[in-house]
Amino acid sequence: MQRSRWIGAGVLASALVLTSCTSGPAGVDAKQNSKAPLELWTRTTPGGPGEKGAVRLAAAFEKATGYKVEVTAIFDDFETKLQQRAAQKNLPDIVMNDVTQLGAMHSQGLLREIDLDKIKNGKQAIGQGLDSGKSVDGKQYGLPYSAQASALLIRKDWREKLKLEVPRNWDDFATMAEAFTIKDPDGDGKKNTYGLAAPLSTKRGYASWYFSNFLWAAGGDFITETGDGKYKPTMTTEESVRAVQWFRDLGCKSKVIQPGAVTMETPPTNETFEAGRTGMFVVGPYLLPRFDETLGKDKYEVVPMPKGAKDATVLAEGGSVYLMAGSENMAGQDAFADFAISAEGQKTGMEGDTGFTVQLPVNKTVDISEVRPDPRWKTYAEIYQNSGRYAPSVPNWTPVRQTTAETVNALMADCGLDTGTKLKELDKQLADILKEQGIAAS
Amino acid sequence: MSLDQADPAALPAAGPATRKAGRAAGGAAGRRGHNRRAGRWWTPWLFLAPALLLFLYFKFIPMVSALTMSFQEVQPYLGNRWVGTENYSTVLQSDGFRDAAWHTVVLAAGQTAGSMALGLALALLMEGQGRRLGFVRSAAFLPVVVPIAVVAELWRIMYHPTADGMLNSLLGLVGLGPSGFINDPDTSMASIMITGIWRGAPYDMMIFLAGLTGVDRGLYEAAKVDGASRLQRVWHVTVPGLRSVFSILFILAAIRGLRVFTEVFLLTNGGPDGSTEVVMTLIYKLGLEQNRLGVGAAGAVLLFIATLVLTVVVHLLRRRESK
Repeated sequence: MQRSRWIGAGVLASALVLTSCTSGPAGVDAKQNSKAPLELWTRTTPGGPGEKGAVRLAAAFEKATGYKVEVTAIFDDFETKLQQRAAQKNLPDIVMNDVTQLGAMHSQGLLREIDLDKIKNGKQAIGQGLDSGKSVDGKQYGLPYSAQASALLIRKDWREKLKLEVPRNWDDFATMAEAFTIKDPDGDGKKNTYGLAAPLSTKRGYASWYFSNFLWAAGGDFITETGDGKYKPTMTTEESVRAVQWFRDLGCKSKVIQPGAVTMETPPTNETFEAGRTGMFVVGPYLLPRFDETLGKDKYEVVPMPKGAKDATVLAEGGSVYLMAGSENMAGQDAFADFAISAEGQKTGMEGDTGFTVQLPVNKTVDISEVRPDPRWKTYAEIYQNSGRYAPSVPNWTPVRQTTAETVNALMADCGLDTGTKLKELDKQLADILKEQGIAAS
Repeated sequence: MSLDQADPAALPAAGPATRKAGRAAGGAAGRRGHNRRAGRWWTPWLFLAPALLLFLYFKFIPMVSALTMSFQEVQPYLGNRWVGTENYSTVLQSDGFRDAAWHTVVLAAGQTAGSMALGLALALLMEGQGRRLGFVRSAAFLPVVVPIAVVAELWRIMYHPTADGMLNSLLGLVGLGPSGFINDPDTSMASIMITGIWRGAPYDMMIFLAGLTGVDRGLYEAAKVDGASRLQRVWHVTVPGLRSVFSILFILAAIRGLRVFTEVFLLTNGGPDGSTEVVMTLIYKLGLEQNRLGVGAAGAVLLFIATLVLTVVVHLLRRRESK
């Protein structure tokens, strides 16, 4: 399977060899044609509700502005397929993809800078959302169209049965996790429930992704900016070590995390929550429609994460509109970015019951309750604005996430390991990664 | 031969002239006949052309490109940049490359040996003509045709790490466990190996079955007459009779073993604590997940060389043996 992928990559490269003789460097000055249809790629399952949402957004844009858009939904190997188009020097005009992809695409020269003066609705964008679209040199290369943050999902029926309050701090959190594990909250007489659902596989860095909600709230950090876009590894600071130890105790000491967590990514973890095996889960709002259907809306509640040693910071994520280099319709690109962030675009993106394009609006003037009266969405929106924090825009975040995921995974899988030693090793690896990306603080 | 080839190659350009020259040189008729026959040198190539053309485009050019890419930083849009052997050192010096290589060898050896032993046992049990045997054979072959993603999900369920998990409840019956299986760094590798053997053994069984038909029945009878026990007959008649099958299977299984990816990726993705990291999962992480195709290509080239060396060594050993 992998071999064929390389062969694909090989074909791509050979295509490059063939084309590179004929075409000049990236068509930054491509001949402009404001009538040319805009090709839009979005990272969502083809044929799924996400694609329908994107098509709806595109249709609203066409109606509002007169530009033509062709939507293509791609999910698997999105980045590789984009590389293939890059090799042909014929990128789609617009890409809607994860904010964390900014660094990778920018360093490959695939993006063109966004001139905020041309995006009149840009002023209405939520500040941290707008910042998430800045590259390490502070220039704007992406414009957010959707945001999300993590909140705590609790099995309400379990909590009420055991007469517990919604956790306010980490001690409450640990107590509840323990109660869910040992006090048989589902009342079937079997010891088959666990406090916390956690995807801790190394795949796509899930362990690190999940743990960031705890690390940041404890005041720790994977890497910390020292100024001028330079970073240093900080997994051995007192705060980070304490956060790791606390999280590790959940798995190793009180054993409140679902068994098998270290080889689980999100799908099997979601199932443990749905099947009544786990009582708490820290996730984004995109799972609400699913859990409403499988578990029932009345069975669980959405609350902000309790305060850690520092605050209640959680991971913020989202999608950005990227304007790709070499487009022959730059005016159309700008218009789309402007529309996506406008109140109208945001509202269109939020329509529907599932698979909406916009999870949480990134436009300050849009009140989520107007479109989605469900108060749980309001909770999510508030968490995002008050406690959401994006991963930093380093040139390539993937290796940082991968490496930290591996260490978290190791520490959770093998309770005999020494936390301090392992984190020291991690810091060294992170230092190498930062150096390789040219952002290491000396 | 080489002269003949040189001649007709010049033909289309200056046909009549050469022919005239040929005639002038004397030995007219015979020479011409020879020429006509030699003119067909390209006939086999013509028949091979479609396949070769496909190979050229879908195999050889990509392979050469992969080799080129392994020395480049691949940035399709900006243009690739030559980086020398940097990609190779990234792969070779990455944390865990040595561990991953070792794990790959262990996994390949274990799966190869296990699949061959189990496959041979199954083949011996299911040798014969009966219709029922045919059914059982097909049933035993099922693991090979089931998509690997399904297999992985199935085993993940079976390996559930609590006492009420499927395999753990069986272990519980004999007073063992519960084991963490793929979730415990100590048992994860063995668990993946077992999954691999479960999947690989029926394939080996089929090839052994084909090989068994080639073993002379008379030898069994002769051994029986000589008073050989059942086990002795297997050891002294069957196993030597299957020697070539063994070496073919060994090469196939070893290659498959070195390239092992999907089951590891789906079951553990190299975790927990890197205990099942193999070369392919490492290359995937370094090259594809991080979008550094040059590094991925370098890893692929390294793996290709390892496979090539292994195959050549086995061939040489076989040749020496047959001499």
